[in-house]
Amino acid sequence: MTPQGAPDTTSYYHAAYVVAGMLYAGYVLSLWWRSRPRR
Amino acid sequence: MTSTAQSRAPTLTSASEASSQPVFDWLFGLSVVLMLAAVVRIVAFTPIEATQGAAQKIYYIHVPAAISAYTALTLAALMSIVFLWLHDERADRLAASAGEVALVFTSGVLLTGPLWGKPIWGAWWTWDARLTLTLFLWFVTAAYLVLRGAIEDPTARGRYSAVLAVLAALLIPFIHLSVYLFRTLHPMPIVLKPSRPSLPTEMLITFTLSCCAFFLFCLMLIRSRYRLALLRERAEVE
Repeated sequence: MTPQGAPDTTSYYHAAYVVAGMLYAGYVLSLWWRSRPRR
Repeated sequence: MTSTAQSRAPTLTSASEASSQPVFDWLFGLSVVLMLAAVVRIVAFTPIEATQGAAQKIYYIHVPAAISAYTALTLAALMSIVFLWLHDERADRLAASAGEVALVFTSGVLLTGPLWGKPIWGAWWTWDARLTLTLFLWFVTAAYLVLRGAIEDPTARGRYSAVLAVLAALLIPFIHLSVYLFRTLHPMPIVLKPSRPSLPTEMLITFTLSCCAFFLFCLMLIRSRYRLALLRERAEVE
């Protein structure tokens, strides 16, 4: 819960965590994708 | 034997061992669990800062990402020096892996920074020394990977890209000291400084946990990328 008097900046906080999660998960997925056996 | 042939010889041996090493293993699971633990701690057990509100919590992923990027790039530079000195292809492969992971974490810094800056500074971006140098580091690291992709001869590729990796790593101390050397909007370090950390204990514990989680995640990504490089070389040999 936001303390009294503090600005409501929750949307930026959520956006940063979502963007970071997508970036790191995307890179892990790219490693997995590139490691698949090729025919 | 030519230097090219010497550098290719270990590839065949190490590549043949690659099939026994999965790209992801227990270290991946451990790093993900630690990362999730850090997120739970940040979301549920860390107080919201009184003047910035919830956006201050971006600090727990912004700074550890920067530390991870610096670590990965320093490793790339050190392995590049080892390659220039010993012509060991394993060092070149590790440098390339660490360079790619450094680019990912630098991207993380550049993406989360503006999302913190907008509510606090009122601007997504400002051309101050810290931000501009970090953007420059991103371009140099990207250029390092592009250069590696553009040269086919392994010896020439290793040699030219090694020089670029060392030059990129030289930016790191300038980036860290830029807030002291220039008048910048970016705040000075509150933990990584000669005096005691300025964070309250609860926030410091969260920051330390997040740094450990990011560091392990970074090491896991470098190792996985290294194993992927082995797999690719094996595929090329076959």
